[in-house]
Amino acid sequence: MAGERKHWKCITKKKLMQPIFRRSLYAIILLSGLVWIFVSADKTDSSTAGRIPAPQKGFLAPEFKLETPNGQSIAMTDARGKAVLVNFWATWCPPCRAEMPTIEKLYQEYQDQGLVVLGVNSTIQDEPPQIVPFINQYNITFPILLDVNGEASNLYELRSLPTSFFIGRDGVIKEVVVGGPMSEALLRTNIEEIIK
Amino acid sequence: MNILSLFQNIFAPPRDLILIILAAWIGLTLSERHAPRYHVNLDSLSNLLLISLVSFVVGGRVLYALENLAIFSQSPTSIFSLNTALFDQWGGLAVAAITAFVYGRRAHLPPWPSLDVLTPLFAALAIGIALSHLASGAAFGKETNVPWAINQWSALRHPTQIYEITASILTLVLILIQKPISKPGYEFLLFVALTSASRLVIEGFRGDSTLILGGLRAAQIAAWLILFAAFVGLDYQKRLDDEKE
Repeated sequence: MAGERKHWKCITKKKLMQPIFRRSLYAIILLSGLVWIFVSADKTDSSTAGRIPAPQKGFLAPEFKLETPNGQSIAMTDARGKAVLVNFWATWCPPCRAEMPTIEKLYQEYQDQGLVVLGVNSTIQDEPPQIVPFINQYNITFPILLDVNGEASNLYELRSLPTSFFIGRDGVIKEVVVGGPMSEALLRTNIEEIIK
Repeated sequence: MNILSLFQNIFAPPRDLILIILAAWIGLTLSERHAPRYHVNLDSLSNLLLISLVSFVVGGRVLYALENLAIFSQSPTSIFSLNTALFDQWGGLAVAAITAFVYGRRAHLPPWPSLDVLTPLFAALAIGIALSHLASGAAFGKETNVPWAINQWSALRHPTQIYEITASILTLVLILIQKPISKPGYEFLLFVALTSASRLVIEGFRGDSTLILGGLRAAQIAAWLILFAAFVGLDYQKRLDDEKE
């Protein structure tokens, strides 16, 4: 009995390996693949997900409203229609310190072309008295916002410092750079992309 | 905090690169163990890998700089920047492939058996890349109400990164349990077929696909063409094998 079963198993395996069976199997898989391509096609163009806010490339940038150290309130909506660089930083973070002068330099260069830079200080994990001296030390002229309760950090799912979000004029995030310091070329490439 | 959040916090970018490096190390170990059955010179193969890796890194950065020449000419030192984003990965891969081909010819490495030896490395790297996608939230799924959906980027979505990890683990297992066979290139082509087939299926659940021709997913079309080529290769090999018998 066992010998007979083995014999049939051997014949079935041999048959399956015959060109006609093998090629039929390949053809069935390829045809199923073609059907799946058309069935899973995204005709509504929802794949780009550019309509819901999330801190990821291709999504709408989440909106927040924060205050500067001198009490002025600034919202993301104020920058509507402009290219925005949101840079999360803290005074104790060495890469944040290292990239600040380059961000300031490029802000000076591109602000006339519609670039807005929002430096969001992660105040919840920083020493508030050190923020203003930091701004003065690096001669920062773009708005520094204080994320006192971690509201913006939560919205942007901040996990590392620095983290930068490059947002196009349509409000969609074009690039996310986690970690730093960002080199001048990296900043320039992304700024050129969002000010288009 | 659930396991997924914990994993994403531990391996948040740029730490997700650790997963790829770890996968490469495991893959290399598996490839070394795999090598004796193919009679390939391991020293030459290690040199090929090292040279390809250097070519990938240098080629990817130089090509990126050439593509953005006006920007790099304003800050030439940026070419040495540690920012991984300043990199053309497809260009780097092309340079690495050309270098590997040229070096392989010079070192008299047989192409198909060499690819077979390296197949466990490729399969392990695929797992590492899938894990890094899960850590960074890249390659995310489209919105769904299935019971196993995960909350990601403000919506319940298909856990496409978990599908990707499962498929790549299964591929590696299938590669490793293959019996030693005489047909050179079989394992590599099998890996290519399995990987492209899984991409073809999983891409249909992705929420970040590049769309062409009225909603078709570009990656699915590419995966289908690669699958077709892999089947042609497997069939050709089998035919040669049959003729020998």
